[in-house]
Parts: sequence; structure tokens; C-alpha cells
Amino acid sequence: MKKLALYLILICAAVSFIYPFLWMAFISLRSVGDAGAGSFLSSFFTLQNYKAVFMEIPIGRALLNSAIVALSTTASVIFFSSLVGYALAKLRFNGRETVFMIVLLTMMIPGQLTLIPLYTLIVRLGWIDAYPALIAPWMISAMGILIFRQTFISIPDDLIEAARMEGCGELRILTSIFWPLSKPAMVTVGIITFMNSWNEVLWPMMVVRRQEMMTMPQMITTFSVGGQSGGELGVEMAASMLLIIPILAAYAFFQKYFIEGIASTGIKG
Amino acid sequence: MRTIFFTILFLFFAGSSGAIELTYWTSSNPEEIELGRLLVSQWNQSHPDVQVKMQPIPATQSSEEVLLAAIVSKTTPDVCSNILPAIMGRFTKSKAVLALNAFPDYEKVVIGRTGSKLADLFRSRDGKLYQVPWKCNPVMLVYNTAIFRALGLKPPKTYSDFSKAAETIAADRDNPGRWAMAVSIKTTWWQRLFDFYPFYVAATGGRTLLCNDSAAFNGPGGVAAMTFFRDGFKKRYFPMLGFSGNIFLEGKTAMDVAGPWAIKYYRRLKPGFEFDFAPIPVPDSYKGPVYTYGDPKNIVIFATTKYPKQSWEFVKFLTSKEADLKLLELTNQVPMRSGIVSDPFYGGFFDKNPLLRKAARQAQYVVPMDESQHLVQILDIISGQFEAAAVYAVITPEKALAIAAKKTQALYDYW
Amino acid sequence: MTTGDERKDAIGYAFTAPYILFLLVFTAYPLLFSFYLVFHSWDLITPPEYVGLKNFYFLMHDTDFWQALLNTLIFLAIHIPAQVVFSIMIAMALAEKIVAKTFFRAAFFLPVIISGAVVTILWAKLYSTDTGIFNQLLGLAGIAPVKWLTSTSLAMPSIAVMATWKNMGFYIVLFLAGLLNIPAHLYEVSKIEGTTRWQDFWHITLPLLRPTMLLVVVLSTFGAFSLFIEPYVMTGGGPLNSTMSVVLYMYKHAFLFQHMGYAATIGFALAAIILLVVLIQKKYLDSD
Repeated sequence: MKKLALYLILICAAVSFIYPFLWMAFISLRSVGDAGAGSFLSSFFTLQNYKAVFMEIPIGRALLNSAIVALSTTASVIFFSSLVGYALAKLRFNGRETVFMIVLLTMMIPGQLTLIPLYTLIVRLGWIDAYPALIAPWMISAMGILIFRQTFISIPDDLIEAARMEGCGELRILTSIFWPLSKPAMVTVGIITFMNSWNEVLWPMMVVRRQEMMTMPQMITTFSVGGQSGGELGVEMAASMLLIIPILAAYAFFQKYFIEGIASTGIKG
Repeated sequence: MRTIFFTILFLFFAGSSGAIELTYWTSSNPEEIELGRLLVSQWNQSHPDVQVKMQPIPATQSSEEVLLAAIVSKTTPDVCSNILPAIMGRFTKSKAVLALNAFPDYEKVVIGRTGSKLADLFRSRDGKLYQVPWKCNPVMLVYNTAIFRALGLKPPKTYSDFSKAAETIAADRDNPGRWAMAVSIKTTWWQRLFDFYPFYVAATGGRTLLCNDSAAFNGPGGVAAMTFFRDGFKKRYFPMLGFSGNIFLEGKTAMDVAGPWAIKYYRRLKPGFEFDFAPIPVPDSYKGPVYTYGDPKNIVIFATTKYPKQSWEFVKFLTSKEADLKLLELTNQVPMRSGIVSDPFYGGFFDKNPLLRKAARQAQYVVPMDESQHLVQILDIISGQFEAAAVYAVITPEKALAIAAKKTQALYDYW
Repeated sequence: MTTGDERKDAIGYAFTAPYILFLLVFTAYPLLFSFYLVFHSWDLITPPEYVGLKNFYFLMHDTDFWQALLNTLIFLAIHIPAQVVFSIMIAMALAEKIVAKTFFRAAFFLPVIISGAVVTILWAKLYSTDTGIFNQLLGLAGIAPVKWLTSTSLAMPSIAVMATWKNMGFYIVLFLAGLLNIPAHLYEVSKIEGTTRWQDFWHITLPLLRPTMLLVVVLSTFGAFSLFIEPYVMTGGGPLNSTMSVVLYMYKHAFLFQHMGYAATIGFALAAIILLVVLIQKKYLDSD
């Protein structure tokens, strides 16, 4: 009996978490006239809303921008964070612990403090409306460094000794030995970085003004708030669906990494 | 050897056939783009040595933002004709634009065209003129003549007239749910330029928001205007809408507040729509001509220009008699040319477009915004108080405007 | 020191150099510049003007800033308890022996990975007074439409509910990990002593969950003080400034009014307040 109640609660809760997205997907596939009613009874599905989105706003370009920014940021974070993580885990040098402390400290600085000066820096560098503004400030992440350091520490030293004796440079050791051995960490860092970069909207709103350089969430927000959708619910929902489909796809495949990875960053924080 | 010789020859001629190129930025408004293209091609044909390249400011951003960004990155054009006089304060502070008295004939050209009464409105704090008054779009009351005819109404001149008209509209059993007018409840700063500000200007006989860096809007005129809107929301003359869309064209409201640029917009979206213009209503006790907000746009030459003389010649061309006629025809906005109503050169056009004649008459009684570097923030403050006093009626108009005045004062005290 | 050691040092430096450079440019410089900016007035196109403590004085008297802060605290007051209570409840349900655990976990976690902008746009439609699903459901029960986003008393709480929904999956997973870390044998002891499940919860589970709870509270706090896209999209800060968050207010001053110095001051004050709040939370929630 208790179990039944338990399942009931869980199912009700789960439904309330999924239903809004189903509603959104449903509305995006319905023709314009019926968008106001929220029932599932109509049988007419159409792709016209999606077509309208592509015609009314340069969403293709925004998609490209988001992809470029998210992928570059992810690649950079994986590379550089693993570099520093390796140094902190396996290399011995003066000041290693200081660097580690600095990494921890930076995680405690509230972003709000540096947001405005960072913006003025971007203006001074002339990077407004350019990709570097969207990528550079996020190229290395403290979280990434910590995760890689943690993973690398648990890899036995003998592997390194052997490689060093054969005359391998440290960089080769990192890329040929450690990277293959830490695939879960790489996937985790990659997914978290990609997701945060893809979903980020405040920063692009600050440094990007030209429509051709906007990222997808920024474009969708502008589209919604600016009234360009003309109150057409179906089109707005279609635009939102386009934004979340890549992440949903990744979530479907890498769900375990998403959940455990993000949770572990919380724990480490 | 020969190739080198010809290459050098080619480069020599390519370099020296050096037509000067001027960049000219226009608004993104489709009609203004059309006007720009026409004028630019006319100029380019008759001036092979000074070619103008036209570029509309992107539609997705406010032109103020784009221009400020251009100043920061030093990518300003030579000439721009989409300057809101209100932001001139920041332009002149950063010395981004040329003072017109650099050109010896500017008195004759600019003052001669606009007349000193209106031109003086656009002088900067140092008394110099940095912008060429170009056109204005006097904000007036627009009303649906079909509805007014059916209900036997005349365009309201005073607040009482407006109330009576609104009551009649609301009592119309054949069309329930029709509103008198849509007033936006959004607090975006420029929203007030099309409700509170024009009514305030009308109620005070042509005052702007500030006087000597001090709030003037909390006087009796301001209170009267604010009270008008509060009553309108309270008595449900206005629907509670943020985004009204084309509610006026759909006949759901009987009146609107707009300038003559809307003529083309209405005709394009709803051919056959019957409407007319009237001056903004004033308080019952008001006497005198009705002023309004002019929504002016002016032309400036940026200080980064390499060719000030040629830029000035182009600007003179943009404000010539013929160009002003084209401005009237293509954009339905009013050139800031004094005496335009009685000038026979434009008589033919006004005969065919009586609405524009009305607008041109109103254009003699317009005011711009104050040239204050805090203007956006002041309008934002007023918007916030408008929301509190008019839309939600949680405080009285007097109190609201007093708060706004105090906050405005703080801006000047601190910054 | 032998050359071997120096070589080792060099490699370490080489590997960390990019990071140090990155820090200097994108963290240290902005941090220092913010200390500079708070004493200046700057509109980006004219040189910064030294104003001493004027920005701080203005902040003290700026009722809009304090309103924004109050709004954020209201948000916190609803969001944190709701988050803790519901997340623990569901985590405990998931910790039991049930099937399809992965499915449930994935379902709850779904909103976490979805862009905040999309969630906000979605909920704005759900909350719509005239056409939203919530009011339609209430209508079926004969209840009049509720002004979720257009009433000054309900707007911020509505946003808080949405934010709780969005992030709950994350906290459920954290609590789940915390629960699974509690050694099972502790409960064995209570079985022998015959305590009730409620007593178990109160005396065993809850105290041992304290570290996780502190984590959840601190993370929710950081999230609450970063509130931006939700009010920006849903209400624009209204009605009557009731949903204006501090970050939105800072954004307004920076991008609408071009008050870079004052915006930096707001950011500075906000950071100080966050640290203060987190310190207080640590004091009361940290395990002894």
C-alpha cells in the first residue's frame, strides 16, 4: 500500500516535470488558429510554424553561432583544463599548491562582481559583435580543472615513469596516455561546458548587438520579448523547440553523464 | 617590364580617379530607405567626384545604441539623418559631431530654411548648433471617422470632450467591448513619448520636461496630463494592454495617438480605412494654440569625417526644396521648413494630401525632447510613476510626479 | 637545485601559464577594474570621471535598488524552503526500492538542462491570465482567473515557483547522493529499538543530511542572486517593480542608461551581500 502511494506521488511529480515540454512540442506542431486551446483533442499536426520561424528570423545563422561558440568553448575547456589538471596532479613545480588554491578561490567570486568590468574590457578590445567575446572569457574553467585533477590523481604514477623513461614529453603523456584513460571525465566536462555555453543568454545579450552574431537563446529571447512573434504562440513554441532539441538529443544519449556530472560539480563546489 | 609599367599606370589612375566616397546612414524605416536611395542616386549622378554610399541602420537595434557603439569604435559615418535630438547631449559631450558654424553659409541655409524660432529649439547648451533640423512627425490624435460618424461624434478638443466621446463609445450597444483608445501599460522609456509627453506638452503650451536642468513636469500641466490617463484607465476608456498590435485598425479602439508617418502604415495594412487627424486634447481651462511633441529627426556630420566640405554640400542637398518635397511624398513626414504651408511650391502636394497639410500646420507648434544626458533615465523614472499613478492608481498623480521630480533632481545632484 | 628540477619546474609553469594568463586578463583585471569603476562615472564614450564615494551615496538612497534587493529576498524566502522540502521528499521516495528509477531521475532532471530562456517563455504562456493552462484548469474547478504575473503580490512568488521547478532535479540528485551515503546500519539499530519512521527521519536522516542541505541552500542562494532572464522575459521587472531583480537592475543601468560606474557599484554591493548571506547560512547550517 505504501509502495502504491509512493509510486503515485512519483508519477504525478514526474508528469508535472515533463508535461510542460510535451505541451510546448504539441503547440509547436499545431496550426496557428488553434494555438490558444491546450487540449490534446485536435488531430491536425503541421510543420508550418517551424517554416515560419526559419522565414521570420535568421535562426539558421543563430544556430551556427551557438554551435561555433559552444563547440569552441568546449574544446578549449577540455584541452586547457586537462593541461592544468595534469600539472596540478602529476607535475611537481614550485607554487603548485598556490595555483591550486587560486583555482579554488576563483570559484568563490560571484560573477556579478566582474560582469560589468568584463563587458567594458570586451568593448575596449573591440570584440563587440565578434566570436572572441563569446568564447574567450570562458575558455578555461575551474570546475574543469578540478575534475581533471581529481581523475588524473587516481591514475597510477608508474605509467608516467615508464613513459618518461622512454623519453616521452609531458604533453605526449597527457594526450596519449591520460586522455584515453579519462574518457568519463572528458565527457562530463564536455557535456557540462557545452550545455552551459549553449544555454547562456545574459552574456550574449551584453556583448552582441548585431542580429547576425546572436546566439540561439539570445535570438529566441529577443524574438519573444520584442513582440516580433506577433503573439503567434505556435511559432514562438517552435522557435523554443529548435533551441532545446540539440540538448535533448545529447541528453537522451548521455543522460547518465549529465546527471552524475552536474551533480558532482555541485558536490565539489 | 611592361607588366610593371602598366601595373603602376593602372594603380596611378585607380588611385587618382579617387572619387571621394561619403558614408551616409539612414533609419531602417522602409519609406526613409526609399527616400534615401532616391536622393542618393540623384546626388551620385550629378556628383561623379563625390559618391555617397548609403546604409540603413539595422532594424533590430535602437539607432541610439548603434550610433553610440559606432562612436566608441570610431566607425561613425560621415553623415547620418536619423538623429534623435535628445541624445545630442551625449554626442556633443564626446565631441563626436561637427558644429555647424564651421560652415560659413550655415546661417543662410539652416536658419533660412527652418526659421529661428524652431531652430533655436535644437541649439546645444553652448549655444551652438550641431544638428540640422530635418523633419518632424508631429504627434496628434487620430480618430476613426467611420465610427465617429456613426456615433455622431466630433474630434475631442478638451479632456471633457474626450470623456464624453469615450462614454458614448462605451455605451454603443452595437459594438460592445470597443475602447476609446489604447494606451500601453509597458514601462519602456520611449513609450511615454506617445502618451504622457505629448499630452503634457499640449497641456503646458509647449514646455519640455526640464527647465534649467530641473524638473518642470510636476507642475499643473503635468498633473493634468497624468490625471487624464489615470481617469482613462480607471473609467476603462483604455484597455490594459502592453502590446496593442493593430487594435486601432481592427476597429477595436476609436482613437490612437500617432504622427503623419502612420498614414502610409494604415493605408498599407488596411486599404480603405477611414481616419483623420486632430490636435491632442487639452485641459478644459487651456487657451491658445495646441502644441505637441514633434518626434523630430535631424542630420549631423560626424567629427570623424575626412571630407567636411563635401559632407556639408550633401547635407544641403538633403534639405533642398526638392528633397523636402520628396520627403513629404515618400515618408509623409513634415520637413522642418518654415512657411511650408503657404509656400506655393508645395501647394499641389498639400491639395492632394490634406492630412499632411494639417500635420504641417501642427509642425509649427512642436517641441523636441530636452537635450539632457539623463534623458532616458528621466523618461524611465516618469514611466515608473506613470505605471503607479495612471495604470494601477496606487498613488495620486501629484505624488507620483513629485517623486519623479525628486529622483530627477538626484540624477543631477550626483551625476 | 639540479637542472632536472629546474626542467620539471619549467614544464609545470608551461602547462599552467595559459591558465595564469587567462586569469590575469579575464578575472584579475575585471576584479581590479571594478574597484576602480565604483569610484568613477563612465558612459563609455567620454573618459571616466572621478566621483569619489558618490556612487555609494546614491546607492544608499536608491529606493529602486533596495526594492530589487527586497524582491530577491522574497524570492529566496520562497525558493529555498520549497527547494529543500520537496527535493528531500522526492529524493527519499527515489531512495526506496522502486522500479524505473532511472526514468524518474531523468524526468526530474529534464528541466535542469533546458535553457532558462525556454523555460521562462514556456511558463510565461502557462501563467498567462487569459489563455494560460493554469487558469484554464482553475476555470474547470470554477475558480476565477488568477493574475499570476500581473499582480504585485503574486508575480515574484510565481517566478519563484517556476525557478524551483526548474532546478529541483538537480537538488533531488544531490539529496539522493547524500541519502545513499548514510550507512544502512544506522537504521538497523533503530529497527531494534522500534522507533517510528518519523523519528528515524528526524534523528538520523536529517542531521546526516546537513552537509548536503548546506550545499543545496548555498547553491540556491547563488542562483537566486543571479536571477535575470526570468524577470527580463516574463515581466520586464514589473508590475510596479515587484519582480525587478538586482542583476536586472544592474543590467538596466549599464545598458539602458550607460552608467558603467554605478552598475559596477551595484555589482560590488551585490557580491558583498551574497558573501554575507552565505556566511550566515554556513554559521547556522554547518554541522558541528
